[in-house]
Amino acid sequence: MLASSRALAVGMLAGLAFAGSALAQDKPRAEVMHWWTSGGESAAVKVLAEQYTKAGGEWVDAAIAGGEAARAAAINRIVGGKPPTASQFNTGKQFDDLVTQGLLNTLDEVAEQGKWKSFLPPSFVDAASRDGHFYAVPINVHGQNWAFYSKPVLDKAGVTAVPKTWDEFFAAMDKIKAAGLIPIAQGGQPWQERILFNVVLLSVGKDVYNKIYVERSADAVKSPEFRKAVEIYGRMRDYVDPGSPGRNWNDATALLITGKAGVQFMGDWAKGEFKAAGKVADQDFYCQVGLDGTDLMIGGDVFVFPKTSDPGQVKAQTLLASTMLTPETQLLFNIQKGSMPVRGDVDAGKLDACAQKGMKLLADPAHQTAVSDMLISADLTGSLQDVLTNFWNDKGQSVDDLLAKFAAALQSGD
Amino acid sequence: MAEPARARTSRPRRRSAAAWALAPAWIVVVVAYLGTMAWTVVISFTPSKLLPVYTFVGFDQYARLFTSDRWQVSLWHLLIFGVLFIACCLVTGFLLAVALDQKVRFENTFRTIFLYPYSMSFIVTGLIWQWLMNPGLGIQNTVRGWGWQGFTFDWAVNSRMAVFALVIAAVWQASGLVMALMLAGLRGVDAELWKAARVDGIPAWRVYVSIILPILAPTIATATVLLSIAVIKVYDLVVALTNGGPGTSSEMPAKFIMDNLGFRQNIGLATSAATVMLITVVCLVTPWLYRTYFRSQAGRT
Amino acid sequence: MAAVAFPAEARGPRPRRLTAGRIGLYAFLLAAAAFFLLPVVVMVLTSLKTMDEIRQGQIFALPQAFDTSAWSTAWSSACTGLACEGIRVGFWNSVRILAPSVVLSIAIGAINGYALSLWNVRYANLLFAILLIGAFIPYQVFIYPLVRLSSAAQIFATLPCIVLVHTIFGMPYMTLIFRNYYAGLPPELFKAARVDGGGFWRIFLHVMLPMSTPILIVAVILQVTGIWNDFILGLTFAGSANNPMTVQLNNVVNSTTGERAYNVDMAATLLTAAVPLFVYFVSGRWFVRGIAAGAVKG
Repeated sequence: MLASSRALAVGMLAGLAFAGSALAQDKPRAEVMHWWTSGGESAAVKVLAEQYTKAGGEWVDAAIAGGEAARAAAINRIVGGKPPTASQFNTGKQFDDLVTQGLLNTLDEVAEQGKWKSFLPPSFVDAASRDGHFYAVPINVHGQNWAFYSKPVLDKAGVTAVPKTWDEFFAAMDKIKAAGLIPIAQGGQPWQERILFNVVLLSVGKDVYNKIYVERSADAVKSPEFRKAVEIYGRMRDYVDPGSPGRNWNDATALLITGKAGVQFMGDWAKGEFKAAGKVADQDFYCQVGLDGTDLMIGGDVFVFPKTSDPGQVKAQTLLASTMLTPETQLLFNIQKGSMPVRGDVDAGKLDACAQKGMKLLADPAHQTAVSDMLISADLTGSLQDVLTNFWNDKGQSVDDLLAKFAAALQSGD
Repeated sequence: MAEPARARTSRPRRRSAAAWALAPAWIVVVVAYLGTMAWTVVISFTPSKLLPVYTFVGFDQYARLFTSDRWQVSLWHLLIFGVLFIACCLVTGFLLAVALDQKVRFENTFRTIFLYPYSMSFIVTGLIWQWLMNPGLGIQNTVRGWGWQGFTFDWAVNSRMAVFALVIAAVWQASGLVMALMLAGLRGVDAELWKAARVDGIPAWRVYVSIILPILAPTIATATVLLSIAVIKVYDLVVALTNGGPGTSSEMPAKFIMDNLGFRQNIGLATSAATVMLITVVCLVTPWLYRTYFRSQAGRT
Repeated sequence: MAAVAFPAEARGPRPRRLTAGRIGLYAFLLAAAAFFLLPVVVMVLTSLKTMDEIRQGQIFALPQAFDTSAWSTAWSSACTGLACEGIRVGFWNSVRILAPSVVLSIAIGAINGYALSLWNVRYANLLFAILLIGAFIPYQVFIYPLVRLSSAAQIFATLPCIVLVHTIFGMPYMTLIFRNYYAGLPPELFKAARVDGGGFWRIFLHVMLPMSTPILIVAVILQVTGIWNDFILGLTFAGSANNPMTVQLNNVVNSTTGERAYNVDMAATLLTAAVPLFVYFVSGRWFVRGIAAGAVKG
């Protein structure tokens, strides 16, 4: 008992000392929660931290591996009244409830001063604000429908050009298979299987994609385009190695880097892994938007700033929010992260070849589509994901099985 | 559960010290257990998403829960996992205990070896077995490297076997505990019994089956209860070993609850699932509790 | 069936000379030992290999050159996010959480068990029943309300908070084993102490506690391993300044760049498991004796 109360006392003293030292410093101290822990990601966080320090703040890193664990921890801390200064979310509906329950600070003042509306893409202004108030800082644009091809593997299999149609694609995959290599490097987690399906669906029918995710139309599920997408998706199952289930996305990228697999469909964050391994676009690997480079599926990361009455924290939040969107931070951060700046007025020439392809599409709204999680709730995303992952992992399921289940899931939830 | 009147009348002053000593337990039970259970039930009747709201929608969440494929397969997996896990642990634990009870050499060493996995967290257990059952890196690849090309051991990534992969890892971790319980039970068996059996010329295996096992019945019951607690709570192991996959082939109810509390931002549905678990547990546990702890209480103390 | 009375000797049929049965018995034990040891042997071997060797995919092969660099990387320089300080920070956090939690949860469990088993307290059965049912409920169910409660009490995300949470979740099992142990002691002891006029606390401190060593050892083992291995409660309630070792293990294991550094992962995992493993290797013998007294109904 004695030992326990002493340890308690020591712990509490330590806690007090901690709080005291934080108050004593006049540097705005920002504790930032995020899930950027892979190599390319940590390099990008480092840029943010350095820029913030340069702007006169003190960065306290609170990284938790895994988006779900990190978001859960952040929400618990916000609800528990000990929020971090800023916390990462994905663009979309993830933080809607935090806004409606009044748990976030608005950023209207910073946004006004920084003229955010003048440079942010309109879809991102919408994504970052609720009822006309800014509640989040969009920090990057991620293209989620990239195809990465390993050059050594294509060479070895005798594939001379990056495929532009699905027939060419499967012909190339057959050649890679014949060369004894893995055709498709797939990370076997449900969210990755969902992204793959969306990539295929968008490439086969942009209208159907929008009807499904914007209008939630069950009729669109019956369309021939949707059926074709499911057929292609189903056929892909034969080109994945048996070790795929459970694999992380960066482990799948590693299969390309080490010359074991031919193609990976993944968001542009995978470029960070190529970069960290010293691989250069168009020399060691090819990148292509979707299958034929026409439509970019965009999403991104945002930071939200939980409500606090501590003036020091508000100061830190303001400084952090404005630092994140300076042209310099945007450029340096996105070079490391592999994503694209949220402002068009940065020097795109300094970005890598893939990001430049993306920036071109980003300049024209006709070539952009929002990722599904910006359009539908996390709940519905989850239900659809269950259907897709079951189909992907069970070759006994037919196209019609998926169509029926997908339509049913689209109607359930909200 | 009425207490005998005569016990209650004796020495009230000292009993009040005992009552005060239980005050922390009462606070915890009322606030942390009953309070949160009640809250869970209340939320299950609301349409709460990421954060709780208090408008009521009746049994909507329950209706959705029981039409959810994923919830249904989760329950089915829990049943398969639970039955196999408990059965394998009891059999393995009993055999190990009997083997160790034969005056073997290095008994302490063997016992430690059988028991140490119980000290590992399920997260660690899951990681180890995920690795061993990964077709590219684990046992399968090694055995094939020895020249046995047809050998397959890919349970963690095979949707038909994923639940059994969980069973193997869980049995590896927990059967040592059963061994410890059974061994202690065996050491409590009267030595005269063995002498008598030998005089009568009854073979040892028959003594174990027809005499020792019935004597060990309370131990078996205890072990079953402890293992059942692990079954109902199984979450960490699933996340670390298969993460519910491939597909939804190894999803479990606790993970369903966690996914809906977390990423899916659907605490209404999550709490309805939790309430169903809660009611099931109460129905299963109460008869056992009553039999074991309360029925014979009147005669004691 | 009190623990103190356990004979230490095996009671099975006497061994005869080396018979087929004896050989079979040892074959069974050795095979079982191999099954239980295999995963950890593979982990140790892997942690001592270089990545080149690991890529050859022979998990049972001995390392060509004992390379301990993975261990030092895991301990002091593996990265989790921006910080590249290995998992040693988490080690000390875990120790700071562990010590008070173990003491507090066992103290309360022992007092509960003593009061419930030997004194007639009103509604004791009800209390005990709720506690036991609580033991079965997945703790995920409790987390969110407890976050709200602890924040209302202004202790959320602090060391006292996580200590309290561990005490709450340890209470059912601790209460159960102490209750069963005290109920299994010869009743004359307690009766004699009461005839001598001993009060509640005096009997507890002077009669019961001195006899509690076997069950205290079991309780310490269970709580040390349980609390050390916890991930989700630590992540939720400890606050990021106190993140336990398991949270950092998760960060290290899930944040490798490109190719997974299996040797570092394995070393980090073994380092995290070291404390409970040590406790088991040192005290496994007492565990076997004590657990029966606590877990089996007396």
